[in-house]
Parts: sequence; C-alpha cells; structure tokens
Amino acid sequence: MTATTVVIESVGIQPRRRLAVIVSIVIVALLVVAVVASPFLQDAALHQDILSASLSPGAEGHPLGTDQLGRDVLLLTIAGTASAIVGPVVIAVGSMLLGILFGTLSGYRGGLLDGTVGRVTDILLALPVLLAAIVIGGVFGGGYWSVAALLVVLFCPTDIRIIRSAVIEQAPRPYVEAAQMLSLSRRRIMFGHILPNVRSLVITNMLLNVGFAMVTLSSLSYLGVGVRPGSADWGRQISDGREIMFTNPAAVLAPALLLIIATCAITVLGDWVGDRLAGDDEA
Amino acid sequence: MAWLLGQRLVGIVLVLFVISVLTFSLPHLAPGDLVRTLIGNRQVTPQLQEQIRAQYHLDDSLPVQYWDWLTNALHGDLGTSVQLQQPVSAVLADRRLPLTVALALLAFVVAVVTCIPLGVFAALRQRTALDTVSTTVALVGLSAPPFTIALALLYALAYYVPIFPVYGSGHGALDVLYHLLLPAAALAAGVGAMLMRITRTAMIRELDSDYVLAARGRGLSGRAVIGLALRNAAIPIVTSAGLVLTFLISGTIVVETIFSLPGLGQVLQNAVQYKDLPMLQGVTLVIAAAIAVIAMVADLIYLGLDPRVRSGRARS
Amino acid sequence: MSALEVEGITVTHGSRTLVEPLDLGIEAGRCLAIIGESGSGKSMTARAVAGLLPRGVHATGTVRLGPHVVSLPASERVWSRMRGDRIALLLQDPFTSLSPVHTCGSQLSAALLAADKRRGRSRRRAAQRRADVAARLEEVHLDPRVAAQYPHQLSGGMRQRVAIAAALAADPDVLIADEPTTALDATVQADVLDLLTALRSERGLGLLLISHDLGIVQGRAQDVIVMQHGTVVERGDTSRVLHHPEHPYTRRLLAASPTLAAADRADQPAGETLLRAEGIEKSFDGRRVLRDVRVDLHARETLALVGASGSGKSTLARVIAGLEVPDAGAMTFDGASLPAGRAGRIPSQIQVVFQDPNSTLNPAFTVGRTVAEALRTAGRPASEVPGLLAMVELDPELAGRRPASLSGGQRQRVAIARALAPQPRLLICDESVSALDVSVQDQILQLLGRLKEQLHLSILFISHDLAVVAQIADRVAVMHDGVIVETGPTAIVIDTPQSPYTAELVASARAQSLTTEESA
Repeated sequence: MTATTVVIESVGIQPRRRLAVIVSIVIVALLVVAVVASPFLQDAALHQDILSASLSPGAEGHPLGTDQLGRDVLLLTIAGTASAIVGPVVIAVGSMLLGILFGTLSGYRGGLLDGTVGRVTDILLALPVLLAAIVIGGVFGGGYWSVAALLVVLFCPTDIRIIRSAVIEQAPRPYVEAAQMLSLSRRRIMFGHILPNVRSLVITNMLLNVGFAMVTLSSLSYLGVGVRPGSADWGRQISDGREIMFTNPAAVLAPALLLIIATCAITVLGDWVGDRLAGDDEA
Repeated sequence: MAWLLGQRLVGIVLVLFVISVLTFSLPHLAPGDLVRTLIGNRQVTPQLQEQIRAQYHLDDSLPVQYWDWLTNALHGDLGTSVQLQQPVSAVLADRRLPLTVALALLAFVVAVVTCIPLGVFAALRQRTALDTVSTTVALVGLSAPPFTIALALLYALAYYVPIFPVYGSGHGALDVLYHLLLPAAALAAGVGAMLMRITRTAMIRELDSDYVLAARGRGLSGRAVIGLALRNAAIPIVTSAGLVLTFLISGTIVVETIFSLPGLGQVLQNAVQYKDLPMLQGVTLVIAAAIAVIAMVADLIYLGLDPRVRSGRARS
Repeated sequence: MSALEVEGITVTHGSRTLVEPLDLGIEAGRCLAIIGESGSGKSMTARAVAGLLPRGVHATGTVRLGPHVVSLPASERVWSRMRGDRIALLLQDPFTSLSPVHTCGSQLSAALLAADKRRGRSRRRAAQRRADVAARLEEVHLDPRVAAQYPHQLSGGMRQRVAIAAALAADPDVLIADEPTTALDATVQADVLDLLTALRSERGLGLLLISHDLGIVQGRAQDVIVMQHGTVVERGDTSRVLHHPEHPYTRRLLAASPTLAAADRADQPAGETLLRAEGIEKSFDGRRVLRDVRVDLHARETLALVGASGSGKSTLARVIAGLEVPDAGAMTFDGASLPAGRAGRIPSQIQVVFQDPNSTLNPAFTVGRTVAEALRTAGRPASEVPGLLAMVELDPELAGRRPASLSGGQRQRVAIARALAPQPRLLICDESVSALDVSVQDQILQLLGRLKEQLHLSILFISHDLAVVAQIADRVAVMHDGVIVETGPTAIVIDTPQSPYTAELVASARAQSLTTEESA
C-alpha cells in the first residue's frame, strides 16, 4: 500500500446527479403518501360503472379515462400504489433478514453449515426467480401475500451469498482475531463486531432489492400470478387493460409509466445511498 | 484444471437432479386431486380416471414414478399436455422453443454489441455529458420491468408511429426477424443496461489499479492501456453473466406475451392458467437445462480467462 | 549533461499543497535518493515528474528530460511521448504492478511494441520480439523461460525484476523507482537494489530512488534529498548527510533508524519458563510450515522470532496465541497445559498486538468502546479507559474517536491498550511496528520497553527486521523454513551467528542498515 492512499479523492456530487436524487426523493415521498391513502381509496377505485366503460382521457370527471369495467383509471392507479410498494418492501426486508442470519452464521462458522447453506443457495440461485415464482405460484395458487412469501424465499439466496462473502472478507481481519483473543462469544463477535461493518452493504442491497421485488411482483401479477383479476394493482391493471389497449391507452400506460418512474426512483436512491455509505467506509 | 472442470460438472448435475426432483414432485404437492387436474377440461368418467392412473403410473411408488418420468424426459418424452392434448415435446419443438431462443439470442447479441463498448466508453470518459446521458438511459433499462419497457416501445414504435408490427411472429426468416426486432430491443434495453453498468464498473476498477499505472509508467498509452484493462475486466464481466442470463430468460418470457409472440412465454402463461401440469414440468425442465448448460459455458470461459485459477495456488 | 532536471515542482490537491516548490537534478549514470516518511510528499513528487498523478491532484513546474522540456501541467499526449523512451516509473508493490492475466513475456512485449509505435518504427516481428524479450530478461538475471509464466507463478523478487525489465524495455534515460524493495524480504531487497545499481552504471541511467529507509541509500545513491511535510529539509552528498546531518529532522530520522548495534544488555538471569512449546507441527495445503518446533520463553524476557516471510514465525506465534490449531505438539503455560485453539484459554494469559494498524481496530467502534470491552472481559470497569489510554501515551480525549481519524501510530497504541486491558502475562507482538514510519516505530518500541518493565510483561516479538529485533529483544530465535535454526542472546547471535542462514540474515541486515562508525 503506497503512501499515496493518503490522498483520497473527494467525490463531489455533480449538480445533475444531485437533481436526480432530489427528484427521486420527492417521487418516493409521493408514493408513500399514495400508499397511505390507498386503503381509503379502494372502494371508490373499484366501483364499476359499465355505462362509462372505456372512456378516453378527459371525459367528464375522468382525467385519465376509464377502463373496460368503467372504473376511473386515475383513482385505480393511485389505489394500486399500495400493492406495488408494500409487498416489495416486505420482501426486501425479509430477504435481508434471512441473508444476515444465514450469511453470517455460514460465513463465520464455516464447516458443515456453510457447506449445506452453500449447496442450497446454489440450487436456488440456479433458477430464474421469475420462472420459479410463475411455476410455483401458478400451481399452488395463493394470493398476494403467499406470492410475497415465496419471493422472500427466492430472493434470500442472493442476500445470503452477499452477506456471506462480506463476512468471509472481514473474518480473518486482526480486529476479529483480537475479539477472539478476548474470548468473546461467537455470537457476540458475529453480530456485534463483524455485522456493523457490513452495514452499508445491507442497506444498499435492501434498497436495490425493493426495486427488484417491484419488478418481479408486478411481472407476476401481470402474468396472473398472485393478485385476483380486477384488483387495484399496476401489473394486474396492465394485463386487464390489454383488451382496450388501443381504445383507452391510458388504462395501460398510466400504471406502466408509474411502474417505470417508481422503479427508477428507487434505483437512483439505492445507488446514491450505496455511494455515500461506501465513501464513509473508506474514509 | 481437469479437476476443476470435473467439480463444476458434478455441481451442475447435482443442481439439475434437485430441480428435476422438485419439478417432478410439483404436481404431487399441488392442491386438488391430481387425477382431476390431469383430466383437465374433458368429462370426468371412471374409465378416464383409470386410464389416467395407468398412463401416469400413479399407482406405483413415488421413486418409481420419478425414475419413469426422468428416463422418459431424457429420451425426449415430456408427457402430454392436458390442455392441448398433444405431446409436450412436440409443442415445444414446433416453433415455440426456437422462437424464444431466437428472440433471446437476438436480444443478447444486440445488447453485447452495443452496450459493452458503451460501458468501456463511459468508464473512459467519466464525468462527461456522454457518461451522464448513457447512465441515465441505462437507468431506465436497468430499473423498469421489461414488460413496461416493451409496452412503451410498442406504443411508441408500433402504434403511434407504426414502424413495427404490433403482434405475431410473421412467416419466413426475414419477416420473423422484422417481427422480433421490437421485442428484442425491449429486452436488450434491460440486459444491455446491466451489461453496461457492469462493464463500466469493472473498467473503472481496472483502470484505477496499480498494474495500469505501472504500464503507463513504462510507456503504454491509449489503446494498449484500454486493451490491458479490458482483458482484466473481462473476468468480472463474465462472472456476472449468470445474473444477466437469468434476467434475459425471465424478461423473454414476459416480453413475448406483450407482443403476442407464440413462444415459451405464451405456453407458460397458458399452462399456469389451465393448470396444465405436464406442460409446466416440461417447460421448467427445458429452461433449467438450458440455464445449466449456459452456466457451464460461462464457467469454462471464466476458467479460460483467469490463469490464476488454472494453475492453482500462487507462490508468494 | 543532466538526464533529469526539475524546477519548481508544486503539487496540490484541491486547496491543500502536498509538495512545496521543489528543484532537483540527476546526471546520467548517477542516483539521487528522496527519503521521507509517509506524508512527506516523496511519492507525489515522483509521480508528478512522470506525469502520473492521481485524479484530482495537480502539479505545476518544469521538467527537463535531456533536450526536452515539459511544462506542467502537460497533456497526456505530451507525456505519452516522454514515458518509456525518456523516463519510466517503477512501482513499489510487485504483487499488484503486473497484470495478472498476461504472461510476463507479453507484458514486456507490450512495452517494446509501444516503443516502436512511439518512434514511428514498424512493429518488430514476433520472432524478433521473442528474442528481445529473452535478452531483457537475461539483463535482469532471469531465465528466459519466465516469459511464458504468469506473475502469480513467480516470487516477489522475480516479479520486481520483470517489472524492472519492462520499465527499461524502451531504454529510457531516467528511471524513477518508488520504494522498489519495500514489499520484499530483507535478503531479496539487497539483490534487487544491487541490480538497479548495476543497470544504472551499465546503461548510464539517471536513477531517482524514493524510499523511507535511510539504510538502502548508503552506497547506492550519490546524492540524497530529505523531505518532510512536502518540503525539502536537507539535501546533499549522501555521506555528508548521513554522517553530518544538519537539519533536526534528519538527525531524528537517523537516530530512530534501528541499527544492528544491539543495546548493551546486562545478561538477564534466566527467569522461570513461562511458555514451552514442543513438537509443534503445522501444514497448510500439504506444505509443512512448522516442523517439530520447540521453543521456550522465560518470564520477563523479550524473545524475538526472526525470519523471512514463509519461515513460519507468524504461524508459530498464532499457534501459541491459540488462533491456529497445530497438527501436533503440546504447549504449557506457567506450568499448566495450554490447550490448542481458543477454547479453554483465558484472556489474562496471552494477548496479541497485530501488524496492520489499518485493520487491527474495529472501524465501527470508537476507541473508548474497543478498550472498554477489553476491560470488561477482565472484570475491570469502563472508568479505567482514560488511565489505560494514558498508559500508552494517548490523550484520553481520543476515546470518542473512530480509528479512521487516527494515525497509524495512534492506532497501534490503542491496539496495545486493548491487549494490555486483560493484564496478560505474555504479549505477542506480531510484526507490530513493521507497517509504521521509522520515527513512529522507534516511539512504539520504546513504549513497549517501558511497559514491559512497568507491568512485568514477557514479550514474544515477531519480526523480519533484525535491526528492530536488536533494539528490543533479550534473546532471539531465528526461523527458516519451518524450523528454529538458532537461539541465543541477541548480541551473541548477531555478532557470532552459528548457523549459515543466520549469517546470511545478519549480512544482509548489515548491508541495509546504517554504519554508525562515523556518527559523532
């Protein structure tokens, strides 16, 4: 290691990037508001009115038109925010918790546990998550939360791998050996000494996983796995609205665009948080 | 080296075995009466039930059933589709699988050819306008669900500005290509964005390394340095290939449905809808096998790229 | 004619000045050394002169390379014409300065091809290239077959030779060697430095040698510049500077540099045996790292384990500490059997001070928390933290800080405090000062000496540096290839080595360290 590491390049946030981050934060804030409002909007959103079916945007009282069941697209889309966000957050958190538990134990203890965890994650990782979810979800049925639970199981191998690698990298370091010299308990060393140093990895990956989970969950509901037909759910709306795709494009485009915006915002934030935390670690 | 290859092979066989067991047991674990499900939409009669029991050896013990099923599968017999009442392998082989493979391949080639150079370029010209623009465009490709990108492209380039066909797969090689271009573009956006980001990150890391500094210190410049860094960056790029591949396969399945392409995606969606278990098993097995093969190839490429792994432990 | 002349080089990073305006000159065939500790600006100067500063760091000034004048800042295009042909930079770490995926031959080849391209000559053909590569490898005393090998298949010394050959491939007039031997073993260091000296005279190179180690300068550089905090504090003819230093910093540096003149040690009466290890065997991946090792350590003595990397000294220390489980052998501590591994051990028996100050402390903990936790294991209250910090000569105010904001020396002091909190009988110092600057190293060694007296400690001191060992150890055990080849009182082993390996070790240490005959 040369002495030139003394010079740490200060990574200034360029104006363009800062703008993107601010916009993303605003978007996420709005999404959170919509999530909170969703339960209250459900009844109004799902109210069907055959007479007003497939209206174009701008028709009286319907800024985005109506879908094939006569439901207001705008209201329906806002009401769908909850299912688009809440599930993915739960999936990301659940997956990371499993990742921390098994990744730390596996990485630090090694041996048979590590071997078993390694084999199991290898197998789970061999399957594309979406495909496995389609097949399992399709065969076993189950609603939104069953699918979410399935995704927790399918997502966690990646997190386990990541945490395990990070723990394996930290474990031989002298500060860990010093803790061993103090005869501290294994649990104390794993979760009290090593884990805090993996914190930035945990947070960054959780955020990015929210994005991945949004993509997967919406793809699944688009394909008909998970939510019931007619639910206020962006993926579902897109698949339901395909029959009037060209009559009222808004019925499909509104949820689609919102998906794009929401996932981009999450990714920007995830990247930003990742850069910030990584910078802190190196300082 | 042979030992490493052998290890990998064993690993892959093991994974395939477990997947086959899981796939096999799926119908037996599914809710509902298995015989009824296998009868599907036909009228339920005692004779039909007997026939189904005999056809699927349902009275044999599970391990025997598994063995039968596996040996059949290895011979190409994947059972009969409940919904279509045709052999699964016939349905897959006739245009379905080839179409999906063609789409995935096209998307992959487009993505690699455009986005890896873009990633290299972005790494070299950091902090410039081009870097920012390309990373922004890549952001959408990376974050958004592939089917939404497909939708957006569909509206933009097939509906509002009707350049491309809206659905179907066309007839004749050139026509098929024409039909596949837009879906391939949608897929390539996602895969390409990932590749671009991975390439950019890998290149930046290599360009910042000591050996590049040392090479510049002895007079290498320009293209020689880029080549040096790229050759080293190839390793993490190929290692990420597995991730990219998974993305590609999932994306293909979903994008096909947006464009109403008669490929694996449509087959899968119908199978799920109609609880066509043999079809589901068949599709899963085929895809899992394909992934395993490609993962093996990626592993081989990686071994070929990194001499340190080949010759075992390094002397210090 | 001077090969290199530098006028008014100033290096800045943002608003910070790393190097104040500096001049220097090297004649063809002569060597100038820049000596300084970390933060002195010596490396930045070297990089500025080659036009290879890191991102965000800028330089102004003028560099004259023979007839060519480059005024900084200069574009990459200008520099790419200079580098290779006129000036080349050799880096410190041979383990990272070669591309791991290219053979040594192809890396040499690349340098040759770059030279061809620069001079507008047609690419030399493959056969010619092979011959040239073979010739270059022979010039640095390497077998031409090395060309087909990858860097990871070679030792550190061999890799550095390849790097030298590649740097000289285009026949530059000036070679900048930035700490070229710091990452190498003591015995190999001398070889590589001798090679550089030989090449210098054979090729008429101007050699700019950057180092923190005053010892290597003697006999190798005709002129020397001493830098501190970005300024030149002293310069001149090497003998003059080493034997009649004028600037206080130079004097301090010289005084702190360990020499082999072992301090006069009154013969310690042999205390009772505190630690005994017998029949210790350890293998890693089929390689025997410890072969039937036996060692005794007496109460209140400092026993040094000295040897090259790979000798097994660290492994033996770790076995004793319980961090490594031996394949065979038994240990006793204070008369009672000492279990292998950590189970059954008590913190008050043995503690360790590790080598790398950057990873010896948990980055997520404050100093206070680290020390308090260590105290807690011994049943001592957290209120003793300030006292413990004071004992290692640290301001108790530092308790609220994280390791990232401490210097290397400060971090090691915290590590010592942590190790001493459980009041161990035996303190193992595993290369604890090897990563520190010379002046800081001296302070820590003196601290250890004081603490040993104060706390009646016994110390097992691991090092590759015989000079450091001479300064601190009562007895020394020399290890080579997994075996202890010689043991005895320090002065005796150094003055009259019995085993051939020890003699070799002493000889290269003498060559490296400063002769003190002429110091006033």
